[in-house]
Amino acid sequence: MKTAYKDPSMSIGEVIANPEIAPDHFLLTLSLPSDFATPQPGQFVMIRDSAQAEPLLPRPLSVYGFCRVGGRAILDLLYRVTGRGTSLFSRMKPGALLTVLGPLGRGFTLQRDVRNVVFLAGGVGVAPLTFLLHEGYLRDTSLQRIQITAYVGAKTAELLLSLDRVQNFCNLRTATDDGSAGYHGLVTDFLRYELGDYEPHVTMVYACGPVAMIRSLGFIIQEPTIRCEVSLEERMACGIGACLGCAVAVKDGQGKTSYRRVCHDGPVFDLRQIALNTCPEEQDKGYGIQ
Amino acid sequence: MESNKEDIGHIALGVRIGGLALMNPVMTASGTFGYGEEFAPFCDLNRLGAVVVKGLSLEPRMGNPAPRIMETPCGMLNAVGLQNIGIRAFINDKLPYLRQFDLAVIANIFGETVDEYRRIAEILSGADGVHGIEVNISCPNVKKGGVAFGAKPDVAADVTKKVRSETDLPVIVKLTPNVTDITEIALAVEAAGADAVSLINTLTGMSVDIERRRPHLANITGGLSGPAIKPVALRMVWQTVRCLKIPVIGIGGISTAADALEFLIAGATAVEIGTANFIDPAVTIGILDGIEAYMIRHGIGRIDELIGSLKTDP
Repeated sequence: MKTAYKDPSMSIGEVIANPEIAPDHFLLTLSLPSDFATPQPGQFVMIRDSAQAEPLLPRPLSVYGFCRVGGRAILDLLYRVTGRGTSLFSRMKPGALLTVLGPLGRGFTLQRDVRNVVFLAGGVGVAPLTFLLHEGYLRDTSLQRIQITAYVGAKTAELLLSLDRVQNFCNLRTATDDGSAGYHGLVTDFLRYELGDYEPHVTMVYACGPVAMIRSLGFIIQEPTIRCEVSLEERMACGIGACLGCAVAVKDGQGKTSYRRVCHDGPVFDLRQIALNTCPEEQDKGYGIQ
Repeated sequence: MESNKEDIGHIALGVRIGGLALMNPVMTASGTFGYGEEFAPFCDLNRLGAVVVKGLSLEPRMGNPAPRIMETPCGMLNAVGLQNIGIRAFINDKLPYLRQFDLAVIANIFGETVDEYRRIAEILSGADGVHGIEVNISCPNVKKGGVAFGAKPDVAADVTKKVRSETDLPVIVKLTPNVTDITEIALAVEAAGADAVSLINTLTGMSVDIERRRPHLANITGGLSGPAIKPVALRMVWQTVRCLKIPVIGIGGISTAADALEFLIAGATAVEIGTANFIDPAVTIGILDGIEAYMIRHGIGRIDELIGSLKTDP
């Protein structure tokens, strides 16, 4: 299904709330002017505190929730503190102002002809998938017959995020690295054991998480009829396709590799187009679409 | 360009670069403004003095692997590696869009050999909607060419001569700061027929991830840009202006109207805005408005009165 993307804008957002919902994880709620375009699931915004000279560059954060209340646009962003930018955000108090550029990028595509939708979330990667669940699949009543299962993984039980927005709305499977909740192990392994339960040609997988998780997903989904979209993160400067900083290698039909812009051509890509072996190893990016 | 557009509220902002009249001195720096269209939702392109598009090569270039950028104190490193669609795709796919604006379009060009520069200039000369050429002899992030052409006066002059011989368009040569004496290169390209020089390109730099003990950039080194390099750029512009007869375009960390004014006062005929476009896609318009407001405040009617007005007497 084709998505109609609206023009992004640059706005000033007021912090409504910014609680730490898990260790080093914050839920930032911003109030924006009414002309802020409605984001599509998988899109992101670039956020910066314009009162500060440093950090210089805005930070990309994916949209976790969005609604319109009393003539204002209310934006939820779920983020992990990983560096200077997100650390600064974590100290923002209600009433503080942030510059918001967005909504940006190409998001997930809704699939109308599937019977199963599977979400695979690693850590804070659950944020864009939660928005996809609510704004994509639950909002459209014609999609209610689709069985939705969310595989949500984290290091520990207390880092399993967004369960309140997921557990009563679809089938929830959790996994933790330390076994403190749900399946003991990697969330991709949990999915691998259950993947056979989903009939391939009527199943759509959406994933967001660390590069290692996306790579594993590439290995476990061998069945070519399963469709799979993943949301990537990469360091960005501009967020609008100009700086070419956020390159991801993709393969075309002939196996030829070229670079695409995560910000403008993505952040959502077809899993099979991504040249997974060339994705950089995890490093402390300091920020990223999450 | 229409001459009446140079006079906004009786403030004359128009400047000349060779045979090219710009309605104001605010330009965009190559590689920071895409092919212009990326910024159209945020920024009225008709108001810009000129847009310098992303560096173009004869054939499309894939660019460097990721990670390509890293933020540093008051700046950023990049090692994009001149990824671009190639000169022909630019003319066929990007130029028609830019032609709808009342806008000077400067094509930034890059070759791996001197002859490639010449051939690109030849192709561009016949393109409708290109108003000038900026010759990039200063990219630090590619293995072949790039800064190799910009670090030696005789090679820089040779490239300039070859481009000059192929085109009547204004030729701007973009200089690297990664040399001992930038004025030596500037004088060489002036003598070789350049209409203007633009400086500075990025300063070569590096950043290390101490946890992984690896460079932050896949290319290991990259080009430093942003406010961190502004004082260095300003010094080099001032030095170069004093040696040359042709216009000097100032580039390097310009983020505000005050920054732009520093360069103009130091003698730059125009300025290019680079990294600041990444932080605020409408920054160029704010800088233009700020320059105009400054001129009104100081009773300066023509930008020529401002350019090179630096007082250094005790």
